[in-house]
This record gives sequence, structure tokens and C-alpha cells, in this order.
Amino acid sequence: MKRITFLLVLILILSLALTACSAPAAEEPAGEEPVAEEPAAEEPTGETEEVVFGVFEPLTGAYAAGGAMELEGIELAQELYPEVLGMPIRVVVVDNKSDKVESANAATKLVDQEKVNVVLGSWGSSFSMAAGPIVEEAGIPAIGTSCTSPLVTLGNDYYFRVTFIDSFQGVVMANYAYDVLGAEEVVIIQDISNDYAVGLAKFFKDEFIRLTGNEDSIVSIASYNTGDQDFTAQLTNIKAMNPDAIFAPGGYSETAMLVKQAKELGLEAPFLGGDAWEAAEFIEIGGEAVEGVVFSTFFDAAAPLTPESEIFINAYREKYGEDPASVTALAYDAYILAIDAIERAGSTDPEAIRDALAETVGFDGAAGVVTLDENGDAVKNAVIKTVENGEFTYLTTISPK
Amino acid sequence: MIDKKNIIRLGLILLVLAVLTILNNTMGKYEIRILNLAGIYIILGLSLNVINGFTGLFSLGHAGFMAIGAYTSSLLTMSVIQKESNFFVEPIVPWLANVQIGFLPALLFGGILAAVLGAMIAAPILKLTDDYLAIATLGFSEIIRVIFTNTQSLTNGALGIKGLTRYTTVHYTWGIAILTILFMFSLRKSSYGKALMAIREDQTAAEAMGINLFKHKLLAFTIGSFFAGIGGGLLAHLMGTIDPLMFRFLLTFNVLLIVVLGGIGSISGTVISAIVVTIMLEWLRFLDGVIDLGFMTIQGIPGLRMVLFSLLLMVVIIFKQNGLMGRDEITIDSLGGFFARFRKKEA
Repeated sequence: MKRITFLLVLILILSLALTACSAPAAEEPAGEEPVAEEPAAEEPTGETEEVVFGVFEPLTGAYAAGGAMELEGIELAQELYPEVLGMPIRVVVVDNKSDKVESANAATKLVDQEKVNVVLGSWGSSFSMAAGPIVEEAGIPAIGTSCTSPLVTLGNDYYFRVTFIDSFQGVVMANYAYDVLGAEEVVIIQDISNDYAVGLAKFFKDEFIRLTGNEDSIVSIASYNTGDQDFTAQLTNIKAMNPDAIFAPGGYSETAMLVKQAKELGLEAPFLGGDAWEAAEFIEIGGEAVEGVVFSTFFDAAAPLTPESEIFINAYREKYGEDPASVTALAYDAYILAIDAIERAGSTDPEAIRDALAETVGFDGAAGVVTLDENGDAVKNAVIKTVENGEFTYLTTISPK
Repeated sequence: MIDKKNIIRLGLILLVLAVLTILNNTMGKYEIRILNLAGIYIILGLSLNVINGFTGLFSLGHAGFMAIGAYTSSLLTMSVIQKESNFFVEPIVPWLANVQIGFLPALLFGGILAAVLGAMIAAPILKLTDDYLAIATLGFSEIIRVIFTNTQSLTNGALGIKGLTRYTTVHYTWGIAILTILFMFSLRKSSYGKALMAIREDQTAAEAMGINLFKHKLLAFTIGSFFAGIGGGLLAHLMGTIDPLMFRFLLTFNVLLIVVLGGIGSISGTVISAIVVTIMLEWLRFLDGVIDLGFMTIQGIPGLRMVLFSLLLMVVIIFKQNGLMGRDEITIDSLGGFFARFRKKEA
């Protein structure tokens, strides 16, 4: 018995050694290109026969749905724009398993093994943050799709993004509450375990206090955790404060239940939120109760923002037979922005692409005109939507000041 | 005789270090990253093995202890500027704002704090056994995570911390992993280790032999959480960024999987399975992509590697219920015996 164990262990160790050696070899066929001109040493010189875009997205795990939507956008973009500078674009997709450690592994694989020219992704700020130091160290530019936390690009010269950030969204909603609703006193109820919600709440609060000039205009900040089902305790407190509006950044399932319970308690104040509400499930769960809620988002299929939007929306409808989600448009934008930067740089050298990206001004994307600021964050319009007759309806477009 | 063994041991360690140095200088960043992760998982696996394997206490609280170690060491190694840029929602508590110490002392602090909290948590719940203990530790680990999410001025809450200097290198991870392995072997040999294993085999009999159950169980928990804290600190400085969601139950599950697969209670089994699992999970990545078999191409299905990995696990569980090593160890004696038998056969 003991001997069998030893043999097993030995075999394992041996196979381990073998797999470790053969790992790169085994991966080459996976890339669908012939291995003949494997550009090992002189890769980043721009003389390769193809341009490689590395994509890392959560394709499995808790956020697989988000990753799948973004991948659709990238695949669609590749069908429409398969080459740049006369070279074919190869897209390498790796899964980050909705996990931070895996995300860092995936990004390292892209920059170190696949020798990509540009990295695209990811859904979820924390996954992008895990990849941040890796792309920076490797000197490969990365374009974030729907990662909205300010920390993603902060202090990282190689991370850019095509989405506006939480701070802008918070400011937009604060302005909406003050100008359109004429609110004087607002209550915030945030998902404290959600980085996106916490960021939004913070910037909303700062801007609203600035607008009203009243330190106490945010009457109260209530919190709950992701996965909570019962909000009656917080809502009963809020009802007693009688606010003019309630800002409730958070995931769609929790906030839909929250709004529903608020209406049942007889809270009349209008609810405001962020882009995460834009999911079919939000209306499904919320039903009648979410009628009239207002939120900011990136894009609306009914109101094309640029000529590129129409190309994108038409192509998407043709391929999938439905209207695209906002994040799909953002992923599409990340892809075409990468092409645009390569064309402007006239080279596939990652450093040249990075420099071109940093100078992006007035780029026409499907989800609006993108201008990148000094942090690499997109300065672009936000779309305000509401729920009307069980459907998301376009209200207005707000441009940055 | 003992001297000779010690020389062989020393030789083995030097050999491993030499191999690691060579690997470190020849491999790409991707491979080095996996090597680092393997080292960290060895530390984590061994630390859980003390509680679950040696002492037979089924604890599921590991992610919480790792979180304590990770956050403590990160907050201690961050520079003043890094702290300012991270804590933009709520400023950091003043007594932490200007603290910055070296990586090793910070790691040690993380480990010690994790050990102290581990002991504090263990003390009241050690009366529980089996499943109840598992549930209680799981609960505590979640409580730690929720506290970290809500103490924004201390941990930056859900936003997490980013921009940590990435101190973790192969020398740190594997150096500490080797120290951990040596510690575990000597613990196993010591009277404390023997007492822990006596508790595992039969609690009542152990108590009748004069073993202080509470003291020894507490010791196991403290040691386990200390190394978990160190592992957490290393992971944080390998990633460069942490947030509370990293330390969910799934992380405990990953470590538990390594221990169960290697053989609950076996040091060498845990080490081997930590390396195998870490490398396998990455190596199987090719399954997610497009596979060209020459005569046909298979479109990649995301998640296929997970399916295959689960299949492999099932095979191991069906054919080797006690994990790869059971409770056996690879020691110099057993290795010597193994080769001696082979030599005899040849002769």
C-alpha cells in the first residue's frame, strides 16, 4: 500500500514537471494561428504579422453574465473591424473566474505569454485593479470597459477606460436631484459592501452639499449589505425623516426590493440610482413599484449618441435580435478605441499605443464621444433614464461641465 | 545517524532553494506568478492542516484570518501618500496615517494579530465539535469580512486598497513556505503535536491521559491563524490590491480542497497538492480557448477547465478517499527505504 502511494506521488511529480515544461507548447494550438512565426524575442517592435488584443472578463463565476455581455460587444466589433494597419486582429480571451487572484493570473498570462499589444477589460473594478500593476509593469496599455471606480486608473499610466467614473455619475445625479426635482433634503441608502455603490454615494453627497450649500442637506446615510432582503428597518427610519428624494446606489436585485418595500411602507419620495439598475431583472422584481425611478447610465439604444452608435445598434440587432446593453456598447468602444489608437500611432508598439491613447480627444464611440482626461478616464455624456410602463425610457442626456 | 539525516535535510533544502533561484531567473512572469501562488498555498494549506488535520477540528474560518493578516500587513507597508490616495471616501484613522514599516515586520505583525484574534475567536467556540464548530468558524470568518467592509476609515471598506508595493517574491514565498514545512514537521514530532493528534484520535482518551484539551486546541487554532495571516499578507503583496470580497468563503474552500486532496493530516500531502492544484488550475486554461486537434477544432467553452478539474477531483476522491497521502509522510527514512527496495529488486 505504502509503495503504491509512493509510486502515485512520484508519477504526480513527474507529470507535474512534464506539464510545467509543456505548458507553453500546449497552449500554442489553442491560439488557432500557425506556430511557425512565433514572435518570441522581437515582439513589441511592431513588425509582427498580426495584432493581438487580450481580453480578460469574468466568463464564469458570480459575474459571468456581465462578462458575457461585454464579450458580445468585443466579438461584434471584431466582426465589423477585423484588421488594423492591414494586419489581422487576433482576440485572445481569458476567463478571470470573477475572482481577483485569477484576474491577476489572467492578465499576467495575456501580457507575458500571449504577448498582446493591448489589453481590454474587465467587467468589475476590482478585477481591473488586480490587473493594473501587471499591465503597468509590462508596459502594455489596457482599456477598461465598465470598471467605474476612480481607483482603477489612479496613478496608473497604462490603464485607460471608455466609461465615465463613479464621481461623474454621482455628480450627475446630484445635479438632477437639485435642478430637476428641486430637492433640498436627500437621504442616501447604499450597499456598503459594494465598492461601486459606496463610491457613487460619496460623490453624490459631496456634490449635493456643494449645490445646496447646506452641510445637513444629506439628512442621513443608511447602509445595507449585498444579498440583504429586508430593508424595512432602514426605510422606516427614512420615512420619519421625510426626505425630498432618496439616492439608492446598489445592485439591481437589492434596490428593486428596496424600492418595492419603500412603496409598501408608503414612502412617496422619488428614488434615484446608478447604471446598475439597467437590467431586465430590476423591472421584473420591482414591478409597479419601480415606475418613475430615475437613474443615470451610459447609453440608450433608442437615442443613438453618435454615427457609430447606429452602426453598432444595427449590427447588434441583426446578430442577436434584441437591443444591446450598455456594457456591450462599452466593450465595443474599448475595441474600436484600441484600433483608433493603433492607427493614430501608426504602430503596434505598446508604448506608442499608450501615448496615442493618452491623447484621445473626441473619439466617436458607440456609447458616446470619448475624450480621455489626464487620469485616462473618459469624459463623456451621461444618459438619464426612467422606468415607464414597465420599460426603461430615455429622459435626457447630460454632458460634463 | 541523526547528524547524517540533518545533513541530507539541509542538502535537500539547499537543492530546493537552488532550483528556485534558477527557475526565478529563467522563467517568465506568468510562471513565476504561479510559483509564488503555489508557495502561498503551501503556507495556507499547512496552516489549515494544523487545525483540521493534526487536531481534527473542522474549521472553515481560514479566509477571515487571512483577511486580518492581509489588511494588517498592507496597512503597515503602505506609504503616507498611498494611504491618502486610497482613502478618498473617508480619511484613514489618524493613528495609522503616518505608520510605515518594512515588509517582513509587517508580515509578522499581520501573523501575530491574526493569531491573537484566532485565539480570541477560538476560546469561546472550542466547546463545539464537528459540524457545529465548522458553522461557528464559518460565521466568524464572515463576521470579520463584514466588519472590514463597514470600517471604512480603517480598511477603506468595499473599495479595497490598491497600489501596494508588490514586495512578494519567490524568495519570500518559498522561504517562508520552507520554514513553515520545517515548523510543521517539528511540531508533529514534539509533545504538543503528539497531544494534538491524540485529541484527534480520541478526545476522551486524550483527556484521561492528562492532556489539557482546551489549551491544546487553542494552541492549534493560534498556530493555524498565525500562518494564515502570514499567507494572507504575502497574497496581498503579490496582488498589490485587496478588498473584502477576496476573503469570501470560496477562499477557505480553495485551501480546504488542497488539504483534503493531499490527505488531511499529512504535511507532504498538503505541500504536493498545493503545488499540483495551483499549477493544474492555470495549466488547464488552454481548455477554455479554441483547441485545434489537427483534424478538428473545438470552440472554447469558458469554464471547461473547471469541469475537468472537478472530474479529476472526483477520480481522486473515489479511488483515494484519504487524499493522495492519507496520513503518511515523505521523510528521509521512507525515501531511503523506497530506493533501497528498488535497488534490491535490480540486484
